[in-house]
Amino acid sequence: MEEGKAYSPCGVFAHLEMLEARACEAATKKEETERQEEKLARLKARVEELRLQRDELQAKVDLQQKRQLGKEGVASAPAQPSAQAVLEWKIRSVEAMLQVFYLTGISGKLTKLGVCFCISTAYEGTYLDSYYLDLLTKPEVQIHRHSVPVFIPLGQIAKKYLQTDIRRFLSVLSDHLNAYAGRRYQADQLQEHFSDQIEGTLQRNSLCNLLVFNYNVLSKRKTFLFNVRLLYGDLCCSLPTEVVISCTPDAPASLAETAAAHSDLFRRVALHKAFRSFSSAEENMDGAP
Amino acid sequence: MDEILAEYIRRTVLKIPRDEIKTVLQTWGFLSEAQLQTVNFHQIKENISQDVVRLCEENSADIKQAAVLDIIYNHIYSDKRVWSVYQMSKTGEETEFFDLTDFKKKFKRRLRSALKNVTINFREYEDNSIWIRIAWGTPYKKPNQYKSSYVVYHSQTPYVFISASVLKSTLPLLCQALVVASNYRDIREMELRSHSLNSLKDIVFKRYSQNFQTYYPRPLQERNVAPESADLRIVQENRHEKERIERVNRKVFGDGPQPKLEFAQYKLETMFKSDPKMGVLDKKEPFRCLVKFSSPHLLESLKSLAPAGMADAPLSPLLTCIPQKARNYFKIREKKGIFPGSFVSP
Repeated sequence: MEEGKAYSPCGVFAHLEMLEARACEAATKKEETERQEEKLARLKARVEELRLQRDELQAKVDLQQKRQLGKEGVASAPAQPSAQAVLEWKIRSVEAMLQVFYLTGISGKLTKLGVCFCISTAYEGTYLDSYYLDLLTKPEVQIHRHSVPVFIPLGQIAKKYLQTDIRRFLSVLSDHLNAYAGRRYQADQLQEHFSDQIEGTLQRNSLCNLLVFNYNVLSKRKTFLFNVRLLYGDLCCSLPTEVVISCTPDAPASLAETAAAHSDLFRRVALHKAFRSFSSAEENMDGAP
Repeated sequence: MDEILAEYIRRTVLKIPRDEIKTVLQTWGFLSEAQLQTVNFHQIKENISQDVVRLCEENSADIKQAAVLDIIYNHIYSDKRVWSVYQMSKTGEETEFFDLTDFKKKFKRRLRSALKNVTINFREYEDNSIWIRIAWGTPYKKPNQYKSSYVVYHSQTPYVFISASVLKSTLPLLCQALVVASNYRDIREMELRSHSLNSLKDIVFKRYSQNFQTYYPRPLQERNVAPESADLRIVQENRHEKERIERVNRKVFGDGPQPKLEFAQYKLETMFKSDPKMGVLDKKEPFRCLVKFSSPHLLESLKSLAPAGMADAPLSPLLTCIPQKARNYFKIREKKGIFPGSFVSP
């Protein structure tokens, strides 16, 4: 396994690099097999679905045929739906199917020159904006038009994955967009519902990956001002990677604990939910001496 | 508060339409509500401006407050200026955490190191935009407040909107400072200009309605469909053609309102094509010609051309590509290949 034990630093590093590369490879291979299995399961489910549909339609056809033959007027079978009703039913079920695809987050439609994808974003059950990508497939896959906001690194993601693995491209882009939508949603919710606890303005940027604001904390019937800086290092994540809370110099030492608790909470829980838990905690505390 | 400053504030107030002076001053926030109550906003503007200046003197206004008032005025009435769009580029791929304080510091430092006499002011707005106002001076003269440049920058985007001062020599320095402050490498001017700052933002940020083909129907606005004529004697002869035009138009322009541009300019450097027997030109050289379309709302009027019967649908791609290519100044050269006309892409 070891190709020559080298004791110089270069050799060790090269070895470590090789191990790391190997680990990476193994991880991607594992991901790949997982995805294949997922795909297989989905296709199997689809096959089942289609079989069921086929059986239904077959039953209908048989019924129709029986009706044709047995003209004795025995209305034992349920009333044959009219052509109009069948068409309406078909349209409704197709619309429902398309709605389902749309709700999964990534849906597409073939166009004359390629395909148009729609990435819809959502955060914890609330559907947010949709973004579109119009792709051309000849001579090579390229983006013709899109409605992705300019601060999402679309160019970089496209350079990495568009030509080689379009599913990965869509998945990564969807992660970026969903995370951005989630961060923005949290900041908007905070401003909308908890503006009374925030002092001054909420400083944010286009990507909503850096939030700085001051908020009031109640302790022993006195309010103190906390300054918090939330840094979202991972653009595909809607929770902060770094939280820095600082209090005013005149704050008592016990507040340091609260600050640490808050810091931990911000790292784990959505921003507006964290604030909601503060207000309920304060309500509980008010009763205590 | 010196004479010059007082005069500057007075002239800024005079620019504002009378009915809106009070709201603008309230947004400014430098004069208290009590002070504003003492001003009669129904008198003539001359007098209002004198009153405001008097109150500013009471509060000892300095150039910083005056500059903020100017920014507020230009933010509300941004349509009075012509804005150009600049695009910055960088080679690196790191995600930058845009730090506002850092940006402001670097920008000021860069400008001040090159030019001692500048007034620089910033104001942030809710939509993540940073407005910068720069008044330029020379090593020997104080800054000229009346010929300021205005910059609007949205963090983490490569686009900057500049309404440059008439002092053209200040532009390179301004561009340099922007590049340094925002950690980019390069900046170039795009061929996109308009009075409507919001429309320029819509175009480059892709906020305007583009029509994408999807299965999931986006809610279509109810169009004012003229009710089918109750009088059966009136028949639409070319209904199919009308519907086709409507469809094609909608595909090209989308459903929503178009960004507001005032001009589209095409500089032609193509050969004059005439009957060879006529021999209008002795030498075969490009016939230089400038075609300029102007309108209070160019894209809306282009959109209504085909339905009004004044042009064939689909319209020429030279006209319809404007929002997508994010440019309204074009140079058309002789076609060298199969494609008609080639655009200069900088």
